[in-house]
Amino acid sequence: MMNPKEWDVLVVGAGPAGLAAALAAHNKGASTAIIEREDRPGGILKQCIHDGFGLVRFGEKLTGPEYAFRDIRRIEEKKIPVFTETYLEKSEILGGGFGLHLVNNRAGVFTLRSKALVFATGCRERTARQVFIHGTRPSGIWTAGLAQYFINIQGYMPCRRCVILGSGDIGLIMARRLTLEGAEVEGVYEVLPEPSGLTRNVVQCLEDYAIPLHLSSTVTRVHGEDRVEGVTVSAVDAQRRPVPGTERYVECDCLILSVGLIPENEGPEALGTPLDRLTGGPIIDQRYMSTALAGLFSCGNALHVSDLVDYVSETGHSAGEAAAVYALGKSTKPSRKLVPLRPGNNVRYTVPQYVDVSLPGTVTLFFRSSRTLEHARATLSSGETTVLKKTFPVLRPPEMERLEFQVPENGLEDALVLHITGREEKG
Amino acid sequence: MKSVPDRVVKTLEKKGLTGIAVTLEEESLCLKGMVKNHDDWLKAGYTAAAFPCREVINDLAIQGLEPEKDRLPALSDSLLEGRHFDAVVIGGGVIGCAAARELTRWDISVALLEKDGDVSCHASGRNDGMVHPGFAAHPGTKKATYNVRGNKLYTRVSEDLGVPLVRCGSMLLLKNPLYILLIPYFFLRARQNGVEGCRFIERRKVFQLEKQVTRKQWGAFSFPTAGVMSPYRTAIAYAENAVQNGAEVFLDTRVRGFRLEPSKPGKTRLTAVETNRGTFTASVVINAAGIWADRIAQYAGDRFFSLHYRKGVDCILDKKTGALQQRATGMPELFQLRAKTKGGGIVPTTEGNLLIGPTAEEIPYREEYSTSQTDIDALMSRLNLNRALKKEDIITYFAGVRACTWKEDFIIEPSRKVDNLIHAAGIQSPGFASAPAIAEDVAAFAVEALKLQRTVMENRCFNPRREAPVNPRNLSPQERTKLIQSDPAYGRVICRCEGVSEGEVRDALRSSVPAMTLDGIKRRTRAGMGRCHGGFCTPRILEIMSAELKEPMERLTKRGAGSLFFTGLTKETEPKKAVKGGEA
Repeated sequence: MMNPKEWDVLVVGAGPAGLAAALAAHNKGASTAIIEREDRPGGILKQCIHDGFGLVRFGEKLTGPEYAFRDIRRIEEKKIPVFTETYLEKSEILGGGFGLHLVNNRAGVFTLRSKALVFATGCRERTARQVFIHGTRPSGIWTAGLAQYFINIQGYMPCRRCVILGSGDIGLIMARRLTLEGAEVEGVYEVLPEPSGLTRNVVQCLEDYAIPLHLSSTVTRVHGEDRVEGVTVSAVDAQRRPVPGTERYVECDCLILSVGLIPENEGPEALGTPLDRLTGGPIIDQRYMSTALAGLFSCGNALHVSDLVDYVSETGHSAGEAAAVYALGKSTKPSRKLVPLRPGNNVRYTVPQYVDVSLPGTVTLFFRSSRTLEHARATLSSGETTVLKKTFPVLRPPEMERLEFQVPENGLEDALVLHITGREEKG
Repeated sequence: MKSVPDRVVKTLEKKGLTGIAVTLEEESLCLKGMVKNHDDWLKAGYTAAAFPCREVINDLAIQGLEPEKDRLPALSDSLLEGRHFDAVVIGGGVIGCAAARELTRWDISVALLEKDGDVSCHASGRNDGMVHPGFAAHPGTKKATYNVRGNKLYTRVSEDLGVPLVRCGSMLLLKNPLYILLIPYFFLRARQNGVEGCRFIERRKVFQLEKQVTRKQWGAFSFPTAGVMSPYRTAIAYAENAVQNGAEVFLDTRVRGFRLEPSKPGKTRLTAVETNRGTFTASVVINAAGIWADRIAQYAGDRFFSLHYRKGVDCILDKKTGALQQRATGMPELFQLRAKTKGGGIVPTTEGNLLIGPTAEEIPYREEYSTSQTDIDALMSRLNLNRALKKEDIITYFAGVRACTWKEDFIIEPSRKVDNLIHAAGIQSPGFASAPAIAEDVAAFAVEALKLQRTVMENRCFNPRREAPVNPRNLSPQERTKLIQSDPAYGRVICRCEGVSEGEVRDALRSSVPAMTLDGIKRRTRAGMGRCHGGFCTPRILEIMSAELKEPMERLTKRGAGSLFFTGLTKETEPKKAVKGGEA
């Protein structure tokens, strides 16, 4: 394997974001390699055997492995090295770039250096304890992604009759998957008054299989010593507190959790990159470059949890290109002029969090609304200047939205704020 | 003058507890009858304990309380039938494991019996690992003396067993400026207990030492000898060293009773131990059965005490918080002198996580480890002892149950009734800190009892140093690379939160006290203890377990019989699919 003294771009993670980033960086002429801790590239897509991937990017419905394979094939064609089963133990700032301390079963302990570093490390799942589910700790409490791995990769059934807590997309998809495998899904319980997953998943995974969805409800207690024997479910009030008197015991041998994803950013954090508390991802500008640490890029679900893999690939692609440009020093590198981009009324978060107004060109802005609104009007303004206006028939928190705008030629002075107005959805 | 039992009855009646029969049995007060609830049960026990007596046997029934389910091992065989051991230790907690290891210093056969599928499953695997300085216990108690001695011994134990000890020190933060008046009393108690190096640190200085400490402190009393250690790794290491020195460990082995024969007048000797794996003879038996120690004493006809059960919940914070505090801190309510806990606080760990805890709640069951919102709320208030900690930093939380006598002190003594039985009972906090000292003494008692029966020689081959498993992360990059080249399994990292390799998991499955369950692997390697809490590594570990234990995946368990992972295969899986570790 070609192994330069210093790579232009190293990408951590060979999921959809990392693959796209590496391809883009390579295509821009940067020497690029990927670090992957598993034995094969593809990330979580490997276990997502359902379809629905790629509608935006390829205009067709693919399964997870099919979607990943399109990028993997190109990575192979371009001979971009992928260091598989390679564990990133520590990264450090080394000279003007980065040093990655790695371990694998072939070379042992070794260091790779790069000018630019792209973190495409995805997410982990929030666990039962992190949402404070009480009671005992028997076998049979799994996160949805882990249950998906058991079934789709290993071929083992984690339960016969289960309760699913959380209506995130993986939870919904697992409700259908478990049903198809002959298990009974007693119900899906969601603490919020509306589903957390995409509408299409609620319809295709629950409604089509007559699986009940209990909104404003949660699991308050797990029962069973060795294996889950049942759970107590309760209705919750507007503050998400269980309502006394609404408890119901549900017999089941498994509790599956789809209660949120946490972007994995221990790497950037250890390098001193602050995280956005709203997204859990690094604070970046429109090139996906950390505002605190030049040369460090973030993309995909590590940057912010996306609803569609297509957007994961898109941020990966953009981050990879920008990393190559940075590493090759082709940008004239004027000192950055960063203007904050902040979520305003009814906006949960915005990515990027800053815009470098010294850079010309189009800025892609991702956001999520903080509640469901009809006839929604999004307004992006900077002081008195309105930069962009767009209307949406409906905005829902589970669905990520994408906007594009141009940085005005004469730049911007004041912080950019995205506000949304609209009508509350009628029951 | 009325008899003690009569005075107890009278006092109980004054407290509204009527219909309780009190008798004196072997100098212990025995309570019989029925009480309305668990609170009354506790009140009665503590009331009796305040009277002069050896101990209290609280046999009061609680109205409407469902009895605790007896969790018997599923296993039943004749592995031990007809065998003989010179010394038998009942209970694979840190006390039992340490006692077994101390016994192997002698040229005798030693067996350690544990009813569950691994050592350190209960209290020893469910505490905060504080090597307390020995200040909290009342002067003159067994707790105080064993704690101070145990604390000192740990320096050597840590070295010998290869389990890290961090003498981080602890600070008792003063909640109220008036508490400064108590400092002379603190120094006096420290002197009485033999706790060395204590200092008063004024408020300003406390901020310099611990940058993030709560602003609501008024100085601190500091204990430089306080330390932390992993309690379950210590127990496992003791057990492994015992096995390396010739002891045998029998898991899933539960004592059902003893055979006794009369010896001197009014006394008996124990001849055989009955278990689910056969009956065997024993020359001396150590009761280190933790929360079940009174049951073991009962089997031997020497139940002069009974236990009550105090649950404690701890929570573990992300490793990222490790840098936010160096010392253990606590802020006890000093004027609740009868409080049965030191109030808990923030404790560093040797692995770099911070830990918050423990709570203290009396419960009516021995092995009831559920947690509730109340526990978490109580722990959250302690989070404020450090200004930088947040609720989101919590990775997980767990409960343990302390085995408490009514006198609230340890029972460490040879039985007065059975010639060849030694009790190490009522071991609650500071039990872990005291363990090395307790083990030395009970082993010495056992050897004394043995010497009355036969000559006991030293074990010339005894090696105090445990052959500790390889930890690649402690090696230099060159050494680690060499290790990986000789065995690539050490280069395949499967737990990415804790950086644990396949080789380490495999070693845990092959060690002298091997892990048989996922929790066993977790305790030995830390795989699955990180922030994702097993979300990514569990499938890989199960594959390695399956290959090493030669068990199909469907039969692997989280922590022993019944705690299976899988209910079967998926529709498309070949019925006899063989899964090998490391091959995708």
